[in-house]
Amino acid sequence: MGVDSTEAGPGPDEAAIAADLVRRIAAGETAAEGQLVERYRRGLRYLLHRLGALPDLADDVQQETFRIVIERLRHEGLADPAGLAPFLRGTARNLLIAERRKTARRRTWGDTGELAQAVAPAPSQLQSVLLDEEAEMVRRLIGELPTDRDRQLLLRFYVGEEDKDSICADLGLESLHFNRVLFRARQRFKELLERFQKQQVPVKEGR
Amino acid sequence: MDHAYIEDNQIADRYVMGTLPPEEVERFENHYLSCPECLDRLDLVEPLQRGFKRMAGQDAAKLAATRQLAFVAWLARLGRSRQIGFLLAALLLIAVLPAGLLLRGTAERGRELALARSDLEQERQRSEQSAAETARLRSKLEANQRDLASQRQQLAQAQQPQSVTVLNLDVERGASLSGGEPTHNVRLPARSGWIILSIPIDPPFQRSYVAVLWDTHGHEVKRIADLKNQSGTLSFSLPPSLLPPGDYSLTIEGLSGRFTFRVLPPA
Repeated sequence: MGVDSTEAGPGPDEAAIAADLVRRIAAGETAAEGQLVERYRRGLRYLLHRLGALPDLADDVQQETFRIVIERLRHEGLADPAGLAPFLRGTARNLLIAERRKTARRRTWGDTGELAQAVAPAPSQLQSVLLDEEAEMVRRLIGELPTDRDRQLLLRFYVGEEDKDSICADLGLESLHFNRVLFRARQRFKELLERFQKQQVPVKEGR
Repeated sequence: MDHAYIEDNQIADRYVMGTLPPEEVERFENHYLSCPECLDRLDLVEPLQRGFKRMAGQDAAKLAATRQLAFVAWLARLGRSRQIGFLLAALLLIAVLPAGLLLRGTAERGRELALARSDLEQERQRSEQSAAETARLRSKLEANQRDLASQRQQLAQAQQPQSVTVLNLDVERGASLSGGEPTHNVRLPARSGWIILSIPIDPPFQRSYVAVLWDTHGHEVKRIADLKNQSGTLSFSLPPSLLPPGDYSLTIEGLSGRFTFRVLPPA
């Protein structure tokens, strides 16, 4: 990995904001509790999604996480107020793990209903269309690239999952060029995605 | 963790792909929990990566389908007789393939069996050789043990006190065994031992001498050859078992006279 010029954990702003939130919640300020939820809700939701929680379960775990953390901050506070994000993250992970263990204990082997649920469901028609559209956008993105070397770079990184150093060494690229190609690809994909999403809205409204 | 670091090291991309080390995952998760910019980045990278994978899958499927279509087209272009021939060949292949595989499997099993038998035979031969070698070594060990016992016995005998009796004889010219009493007596030792006879000789000395021991009946008891002069004396030893009590005479060939002596029983 490249040179790490930053410290692990939240940056100075995050540390200060987290410490302030912890102090105010401990002082009984209800508005601070709302700010905490607002600040971390999206990130916590994404984390649970990455950990494989389905939307309903993610909602439940997220809500329970905030309840536990706020209760704790109201009564005991935090030894390291700047460590609010790691505390939220750890609580959410532990709750999800506990929920999975509880589900596993309830599982009865040989129950066909359970087995049917255990199999990953095939994507719905709409999902398939969206996935195909994503692939199409990538295809278009690849087609717009000026050189074959840049195409190879993206394919090897996103499909082959090769690391940056080996790709740069093979293609004779500098790290800066690699970063630039990736950045432009993301920007172009973003444009295509936004255009596609705009096209979808009138369709939905028209129905 | 700042955004320059995240951008330079493709942290968001690698997080989505699952190729980020665990410690980096922890740091990044703690960061993005309150970072809308990184969450936007993740929301973009996830469909991008998914799109790449789906595109690659579609391309691979398309390539396989194209190959299959090309094969069907080639088949369709063939004449009817060639198509039938190809079909027959395919059917024959399908029919023969299992038998071929079975035969191949059987041949392999046969080879493995032969190999196992050969190994077994070699092992048996080695075992037999080992048994023969063991018997030979055992026999050798027994012989060595016998030798050792014998040597121990000899050693024990040798360690017992030996008595040596030296008898210096003088010539009695004209004397005979029946002529009178011997002037020299020697008593047999009570235990094992030797009797050494010492006989003076006069010059000129011969290169070697032969001594003959006679009993009282004139029978030759023992002949000792190749005796050497040792400062005017001939010496040799006799075991007591050779000399039961009685009178004896000794002659030296080439010298006149005889030496008489009497052997007395042990005290």
